Amino acid sequence: MIRNYFKIAWRNLIKNKGFTAINIVGLSLGIGCFVLIAMFVTDELSYDQYNEHADRIYRINSDISFGGTDMSMAVSSDPMGETLENDYPEVEQYVRLYNSMGPKLIKKGSEFISESAVTHADSTLFDVFTLPAIVGNTKMALNEPNTVVITETAAKRYFGTVNNAMGQMLETDEKDQTLYEVTAVIEDVPKNSHFNFDFFFSMDNVDYTFGNYLSHNFYTYILLKEGTDYKAFNKNFETVIDKHILPQVAQFIQIDNMEEFKASGNKLEYSLMPLTDIHLHSARNPELSANGNIQYVYIFSAAALFILLIACINFMNLTTARSSGRAKEVGIRKVLGTEKKSLIGQFLTESTLIAVLALIMGLLLVWLSIGWFNGISGKDMHIASLLSPKFLIFIALLPFVVGTLAGIYPAFFLSSFKPITVLKGKMSSGHKKNKLRNFLVVFQFATSIILIVGTIVIYKQLDHIQTSNLGFDKDQVLVVDNSGLTRETRQSLKSEIEQLAEVKSASFAGYMPVSGSSRSDTTFSTESVMTNSNGFNMQHWRVDYDYVSTIGMEMKDGRDFSRDFGSDSTAIVINETAVKLSGFKNPVGKKIYTIDQNNDVIEYTIIGVVKNFNYESLRQNVGALSFRLGNNSWKTAYRFSTADVSGLVGLINEKYNAVGPGMPFKYEFLDDSFDNMYRQERRVGTVALAFALLAIIIACLGLFGLATYIAEQRTKEIGIRKVLGASVGNIVRMLSTDFVKLVMLAFIIATPIAWWFMNRWLQDFAFRIDLNWWIFAVTGFVALVIALITLSFQAIKAAIANPVDSLKTE
Amino acid sequence: MVNTLVKLSNATRAVNSGSKEVILLDGIDMTVKEGEFISLMGPSGSGKSTLLNCIGMLDSFTGGGYTFLGEPVHSMKEKHRSRLYKDYIGFVFQAYHLIDELTVKENIETPLLYKNVKSSERKALVADILDRFNIVGKKDLFPSQLSGGQQQLVGIARALISEPKLILADEPTGNLNSKQGEEIMELFSELNKEGVTILQATHSESNASYGSRIINLLDGKMVSE
Repeated sequence: MIRNYFKIAWRNLIKNKGFTAINIVGLSLGIGCFVLIAMFVTDELSYDQYNEHADRIYRINSDISFGGTDMSMAVSSDPMGETLENDYPEVEQYVRLYNSMGPKLIKKGSEFISESAVTHADSTLFDVFTLPAIVGNTKMALNEPNTVVITETAAKRYFGTVNNAMGQMLETDEKDQTLYEVTAVIEDVPKNSHFNFDFFFSMDNVDYTFGNYLSHNFYTYILLKEGTDYKAFNKNFETVIDKHILPQVAQFIQIDNMEEFKASGNKLEYSLMPLTDIHLHSARNPELSANGNIQYVYIFSAAALFILLIACINFMNLTTARSSGRAKEVGIRKVLGTEKKSLIGQFLTESTLIAVLALIMGLLLVWLSIGWFNGISGKDMHIASLLSPKFLIFIALLPFVVGTLAGIYPAFFLSSFKPITVLKGKMSSGHKKNKLRNFLVVFQFATSIILIVGTIVIYKQLDHIQTSNLGFDKDQVLVVDNSGLTRETRQSLKSEIEQLAEVKSASFAGYMPVSGSSRSDTTFSTESVMTNSNGFNMQHWRVDYDYVSTIGMEMKDGRDFSRDFGSDSTAIVINETAVKLSGFKNPVGKKIYTIDQNNDVIEYTIIGVVKNFNYESLRQNVGALSFRLGNNSWKTAYRFSTADVSGLVGLINEKYNAVGPGMPFKYEFLDDSFDNMYRQERRVGTVALAFALLAIIIACLGLFGLATYIAEQRTKEIGIRKVLGASVGNIVRMLSTDFVKLVMLAFIIATPIAWWFMNRWLQDFAFRIDLNWWIFAVTGFVALVIALITLSFQAIKAAIANPVDSLKTE
Repeated sequence: MVNTLVKLSNATRAVNSGSKEVILLDGIDMTVKEGEFISLMGPSGSGKSTLLNCIGMLDSFTGGGYTFLGEPVHSMKEKHRSRLYKDYIGFVFQAYHLIDELTVKENIETPLLYKNVKSSERKALVADILDRFNIVGKKDLFPSQLSGGQQQLVGIARALISEPKLILADEPTGNLNSKQGEEIMELFSELNKEGVTILQATHSESNASYGSRIINLLDGKMVSE
């Protein structure tokens, strides 16, 4: 029986090549897209799952508000982990990562390589995380100072083989020269991990004043004992705050209890975040790597599902479109005694066969596009991962699910024809009554319109970001990394490069107005004794002379630092937000105060106000910020003006090599760093564009099929109308009107949905575009035009057909 | 003086079937004057329908001359031909060819839509003809609810609504029983008396006898008049 089904199904597919092609192309696009997104989602959801204790590891997050600044941090204070372990038996182990020392220069032969995948870790790292050793014993590896555990990749880079690395010394540039002994080599950290380090240095080499509850600089992970409810555990932090942290806060600002602190709008909260939530649910500052976003996982999954559905709908519509061609066959089969059940079986076999062919093509599409998709999604997925048992089952089941989903309605529709009616050739067309088909078309186009609106909004917002007034000039600024040079060389190199005609100005610029750059914030007060009410927190950047002009910022009031004034060492420049927080009417000349490490009060005089500039992503409003003169020479910014940019970079590279032989020359352009802040949005934009295109292409394939169907069914009517005097225009209009109505209905349904989604997406940006009515109008118009073009192929063909042929007595 | 409606001179229609040219109509010479009632007779495949379709401008001759009301149809522009057709020609079919989805009233109204007649005027015209054909009571029924004779009545009403000069009827009684057929033929001769020119194709001698003139076709040629 099944063999018979297959034979008939195959012959039918061959006979109707056009329909088969449209069906397979549509379905394979849908399936390809679905498989690709399934791979993407699986990868996103697999983050940090490689850890044996993944379900028991938690990171301590800190949420602090003080003096008008809100901070959501992924880091906590250095004693926190140990305090929890001592006070609470549920805590089995803790580990801290310290990352604030930045990249290291590590010596290989006579050259230094700049390594950024470095961190300092407690020796307990390997008790918490599952990072298996290849050689060495990780239990003891980081117990001593000047030890380092490296990954296989790092071992091969520096020592050729893993075995050669054991016991060797690595030289870094810390404190001019520090030696570390390699005590273990571990397997590479899996790619789907929220941190990806190649070097884990001993925590004992960190230059830090330990024991400070008020400075948050350590990524702290705790391992809870089995069966511990972490949400209940979160309540313990209040006790920790009262017992350990309050005494230190009280020293700093005069308060007696935390209620007083909270009463003036401040906040100090800690909480645990499950390790496996970090990648998709955490967007804190600073994260160890660029995280994903659960929202995008949802959006992509939904879009892929909808595209597959659109493709299935095409199959339904196209198969029913062929129904008049199949009706006679159904009638004859029924007369010959075939049961409805076996007819349904036959049609489902056919749809499954199509789904299998589509799957093969879809997998081919995945294979072809995976490189491109990796490029835009920043992933490193391989087609081979589809060979895992989970995916193999998924792929094996897919054609049956798709075949049934797409084929069940046509199967019932076709198999329910009454033999007498169809054999007499009196099958009623009923084209106006088919509510289901209308609903399906509306669904397809509403989905397409939502995707198109989404794409337009994302691209408009990205454009808005690129062109909005940032408060500084990101173009034509070259930032050179000085970390391989001594302080004196940095100064002489800068002076030398400043002589070049192409270089307009230069300034040491360790702090830059792009996220990911160095940051430091301090609490200030407007009176020499800080109270709960006169204190406020702001960014406090050490800058060089000419910083403001080199980065292209503007002064609103007062002046920038100047070599002509001797007293500028106690001068401070603040931004507009800081002026607001301070409450000063005329800030220039006023004094503000802060406390240094030894608890001595430092007094600054405000000499100028810089116009607000965006130093974090445009998702955030501009926070309070101040500049003072100071050492920040690990980077130099050069504002240049030349058409031959690569020539200039080459020239600077030469000068750099002359003063720092063997040191890596690292540079970046400010506008590139700026663009990198929006890489995720750009990726989403590209993916959305691809989705929107796919959706509209598949929907139009379907519309094309439907138009064929309708034209076929109405051949006789069209013939009569032409005989009665209808022009080609009349007929085309008649055939298109119904569809145009459906597309308009789809537009009406899609608009509020798209508006709601995109409005939510835009809420993430403090600086955002308005959702203009014309975005929707243009989308609706485009959808309509595309639909009309698609329809007109069939409509015109039907309209110019000779009625004599269609009206020949049946 | 009586106007000449249709004049064919040496009109030919040939089609390519495969590699062979098949001649459907061969050198037809005929004239239809206003007020005539002509019957085309001949066996199946003799070219009756083709001739009607060509005169009705649904199809065209591949050779020879065709003038309608003195205007040369064979060299006419499509737009002009279409206007001529809409204004002067009405069709009646063997299988009625009513639109299944439209009611009787709407079916009759359709040709007026394509002539851009105003809504109020359309209503009046449709009401007139429904009254004249005694089918007012059936105006809201769909074709499937009518008998064959009634359907053909609607078909004729529809052909007449735009007040054509020439009615082309292809086996109008072919699907009807003899009584219904007779009624339709009576109607035709009545219409003819009112001045409508009729050209019908038929198998039936008795139907042909209603006409004022009979033209016999055989294998695409006129054999006698």
